[in-house]
Amino acid sequence: MVERHAAYLTRLDAVLGDGDHGDNLVIGFRAVEAMLEDLAPDTAPGELLRAVGYRLVAAVGGASGPLYGTAFLEAGAAAGDSPTIDASTLGRMLKTGCDGLARRGRCTVGDKTMLDALRPASDAFTASIEAGGMLASAMGVAVQAAARGMRSTRPLVARRGLALRLGDKSIGHLDPGAVSAMLLLRAIADG
Amino acid sequence: MVDPLPVEPDARAARIDALERERRRAFEDAQRQADALFAQYQLSQLIASSGSVPDLAASVLNEVLRLANAAGGALWLGAEDTVIGLVAAADASGTEPPAELPDLESARTWTISHRGGRAMILSEKPPRAVVGVWPRGGEVLDEDGVRIVLLARHELAVAFMGARLHEVLERERQELSAIVDGATDLILQVDENGCVVRLNPSGERLLGTTVEASLGRSCGDVLGCEVAGGHALADCPLAEIRASGESIAYRESAIRGHDGGRIGVAGSYSVTAAQGDGADARATAILRDMSAVRALEELREGFVATVSHELRTPLALIRGYAETLLHLPLEPAQQRLYVERIDEATARLGALVDQVLDVTHLQADPLILDRRSTTLAALVARLRGDLEISGQADRLVVLAPDDLPAIDVDIVRVGQVLENLVGNALKYAADGGPVVLDAGVDDGWLAVSVEDEGIGIPDSDRALVMEPFHRAWNVRESRIPGTGLGLYICRRLVEAHGGELTIGDRTDGRPGTRVRITLPLADAPSDPRRTAEVAGGG
Repeated sequence: MVERHAAYLTRLDAVLGDGDHGDNLVIGFRAVEAMLEDLAPDTAPGELLRAVGYRLVAAVGGASGPLYGTAFLEAGAAAGDSPTIDASTLGRMLKTGCDGLARRGRCTVGDKTMLDALRPASDAFTASIEAGGMLASAMGVAVQAAARGMRSTRPLVARRGLALRLGDKSIGHLDPGAVSAMLLLRAIADG
Repeated sequence: MVDPLPVEPDARAARIDALERERRRAFEDAQRQADALFAQYQLSQLIASSGSVPDLAASVLNEVLRLANAAGGALWLGAEDTVIGLVAAADASGTEPPAELPDLESARTWTISHRGGRAMILSEKPPRAVVGVWPRGGEVLDEDGVRIVLLARHELAVAFMGARLHEVLERERQELSAIVDGATDLILQVDENGCVVRLNPSGERLLGTTVEASLGRSCGDVLGCEVAGGHALADCPLAEIRASGESIAYRESAIRGHDGGRIGVAGSYSVTAAQGDGADARATAILRDMSAVRALEELREGFVATVSHELRTPLALIRGYAETLLHLPLEPAQQRLYVERIDEATARLGALVDQVLDVTHLQADPLILDRRSTTLAALVARLRGDLEISGQADRLVVLAPDDLPAIDVDIVRVGQVLENLVGNALKYAADGGPVVLDAGVDDGWLAVSVEDEGIGIPDSDRALVMEPFHRAWNVRESRIPGTGLGLYICRRLVEAHGGELTIGDRTDGRPGTRVRITLPLADAPSDPRRTAEVAGGG
């Protein structure tokens, strides 16, 4: 998934950032794949997510590694050591993942970042589960919310990261982080 | 290593609790450190990708505000002088931070006393920089964030210094570029391989090329100095100075112009030595087109040669006849003939002096015309009268109709022009061939043409014969006397009337010359020149 969209992400990043977002994610998730092969099949989901988080932080050179890594780490911490995950735990994991990312990046919704896709997705997922929705439909709702959030970054002025120096010139371009966040969520929902 | 868990259940539970708390604290510490590291990383990225000073200031202030969890902030920057200026501010309080402060200390004082905030001095040496931040009401600043800013203050100071230096260099570069681009001389620069790295607009014009088409090509290729006969490739001055490291103050050469013709140039060649940091040795040529100077020199030489020749010939005649009259007893009829010859020669001398004076006047003063309404027919009649005295009236064929509209001209001056043009045609036309004068109205002007069957004016000389003292090469070879002033005087007089003089081929294609002048009609309200004159006068 990441490799398929790497060129697109890098092109988006070339407009607003330093043009390496797609490449960085490819490097990061290749490292994750290699690590997963070495992991025991019965590894608990929480531990697995924490391992993915560490791997992303360590392997990716840009800002996206530490940010995604933090999200995975926090989500893994929220999952604890339980061998299975239910819908409400997943909701909590999404929320703590977002919180961790927001804290580390010192960003809020509207800053034209990956949080603009992740936070609405997390909120929509929780709302859907609380309203009695099934896991699969809640995931679908979350991906739709992420896509809306991603599109909402187009008219925004970037307030974080390298795009900051562009000021008003960042208006009209999608944030590459928000795009990759939506793609990741969709892959999780499909997988 | 780890103490074994106590056996008693209570103690055991307490121990587990303690371990759990310790684990949580360690996790939170690690998180905080990771946050700080990431914040430093983001700050360093901003610094590394900084653009201009204001951009850098705005980015840095934004980052500092987030790091310190501040409501607002300001960043002041000072150079060598004492005043420091506000380069970025973010404040929701409604009153802007002061735009200028005398020193760092007052920036600090202002931040503390007016906002209850914290001021961080990034650099005390130029460029002196201070950033102030203040908290939201009821909140406090994030001390970890403030610490990160203070840790990075040297890097920030260096970044500001770099950005300022970059701006100064960029401004100087632009000023130098403006000088190079505005220069009227050709300026060309080559790298250590002799390939063009710079060519200014004057060079583009002179060579008929573009910078894009020239970059990377060899200088000999772009300048065409070898094909133009400037110098052999082996004697390239740019190669010479790159090898010797010594500039050339003045050297003449030639280059290939935009039309492929040779352009004589002169100028200087200078070299910048290779720098220790790996910068190339570059050589620059500043070349001036010497064609205009050469043309002036030729003009001056032509003047001296023509005038001295034209003066000496009649003078020799006068002297010869005068000496004969003085020393030989002659018949009265013979004496009279010689005196007549002397009279003719003095008339020629007088005409020459008049022409030279005319030229001097035309070049020095604005011409004052005594314009009045007349007809071409009247002017031609007077001209024919003059020609009858010299017995050449039969050769003038006038095709111009009699009913042409009146013209508004200085009768004496335009009479002089017609006399000169027809006189030229008679003089240069071989075997006493006819001279045809025709006229007609053309676009609000009276166009008069004079055609002869003479030796013609070579294409290359047509523009030049209208300049003073220039005579076409075929005329110089023909030994027909003349000063090279007639056509120039005609052109200036016609132009003084607002018209123009052009030289072309005969309309029937036969050898000879056709000179055409345009003269203003007496009632031509549509002439914009005259309308403008009236409007300007009122």
